Amino acid sequence: MIWKVIGQSVIGTSHIQTGKTCEDASSFRIIPLDNDEEALVAFVSDGAGSAAFAARAAEEAVLKSIEFAATLVESESKFENGSIRALAEQVYDHIESLAMDEQVPKNEFSCTLLGFVLLSKKSIFLQIGDGAIITGDDDGFFTPVWWPHNGEYQNTTTFLIDDPNLPNLKIKVTDAPVREIALFTDGLQMLALNNETESVHQPFFEALFPLLRKATTSEHTSILNSRLIDYLSGNSINARTDDDKTLLLASRK
Amino acid sequence: MDEYISFEQVPFGSEDFADNPESRCPCMLLLDTSGSMGGMPIRELNEGIQTLKNELQQDALASKRVEVSMITFGPVSLESDFQTVDNFYPKTLTANGDTPIGKAVAMGIDMVNQRKQTYRENGVGYYKPWIILITDGGPTDDWSAATRLIQEGEAANKFAFFAIGVDGANMDVLKKLSVREPLKLKGLMFREFFLWLSASMKMVSSKNPGEQTRLLPPSGWADL
Repeated sequence: MIWKVIGQSVIGTSHIQTGKTCEDASSFRIIPLDNDEEALVAFVSDGAGSAAFAARAAEEAVLKSIEFAATLVESESKFENGSIRALAEQVYDHIESLAMDEQVPKNEFSCTLLGFVLLSKKSIFLQIGDGAIITGDDDGFFTPVWWPHNGEYQNTTTFLIDDPNLPNLKIKVTDAPVREIALFTDGLQMLALNNETESVHQPFFEALFPLLRKATTSEHTSILNSRLIDYLSGNSINARTDDDKTLLLASRK
Repeated sequence: MDEYISFEQVPFGSEDFADNPESRCPCMLLLDTSGSMGGMPIRELNEGIQTLKNELQQDALASKRVEVSMITFGPVSLESDFQTVDNFYPKTLTANGDTPIGKAVAMGIDMVNQRKQTYRENGVGYYKPWIILITDGGPTDDWSAATRLIQEGEAANKFAFFAIGVDGANMDVLKKLSVREPLKLKGLMFREFFLWLSASMKMVSSKNPGEQTRLLPPSGWADL
């Protein structure tokens, strides 16, 4: 076990009040590589509150992204900008086809998409819309891969399905390996990021990663994974956000 | 040998969150207090504003996010600058004077723009502002500039402007003034209107990515 990963999407109180389901989704896959290495692929998505098929869009976007990214990993793709963009386009096409099947405007399937592919000597990040990806350095200090930008208004952002040319797709590829990483949707942004200084609120992650670092068995990660639900659905977080929230954490040995 | 760690017991997750200011949701009320509003209308309006305050105050997030400002006319006067409802103490309004709607609208839009600037300077996120005009008459001043400001603001998605006509209001003028269809208040149902407004503000101020200005149906208080 090289990668230790936990991740949960939890419904927000405003969605409970209005009888909605959780419209966030998250998933990951660990792919064994040669030399006893592992690739880690993870994606999260936040379905737009105004979209009729928000939950399904988020779910499908995440699962398809993982599937396409896994195919790239298994085919030993070089993961250049072109292949990553093609991956996002495939997900776009998939979501668009779902909207066509349902005979609804494609924006009824609006959702954000952010995720990563971590190989032993390469790290790939991509994002459309809000939410954030942060990585930890060897000293356990966390920095965002990108600073998330909403539109003028707090409740507006960009979505995968907005435009087939994906003008808001951000891609980053580095040769620097990543040891620790977190992915979260916008429901946690106000709690985990400091807007004024555009920095990560370190205590938020310093209270989560140390225990994950110490996990050595799948039983440990499974305990932490269920504790993550308790934490994300607890009163202290709900007092600060009424939105759905997703948090995925990964730490490597 | 590995040290023993109880994965069930060791603290996991902190209550130490980033101290970001709540995003704000500005709501500008432009209220007609001209002579014709005297008597029951002004009394019902006063009670309606109190209802708005009480309703928003009871909502944990709306009470921190919605900021109400109040301009009355005429003459045009700023009764209350933008405040969250905890600090919003509406004075009892009295009715006298004429109906300078043009000037009131221009001032309201200007104040909304200034408020956004203040948010931006302080790193405070915000939601789309709402400007609500309530009148029982028609403008007694030049309202051509106000019409243009409303059209430009709506086109640029800078705010949402709603005109509410009380019995006696010149609905034809309101139609020309407002990009959105003006609504006619049924009788003196200010309470029902402000209940609707507070429910709408709660909805706007709760996080809903991609949400356009989607209105609750104006049921109960509007003559449709």
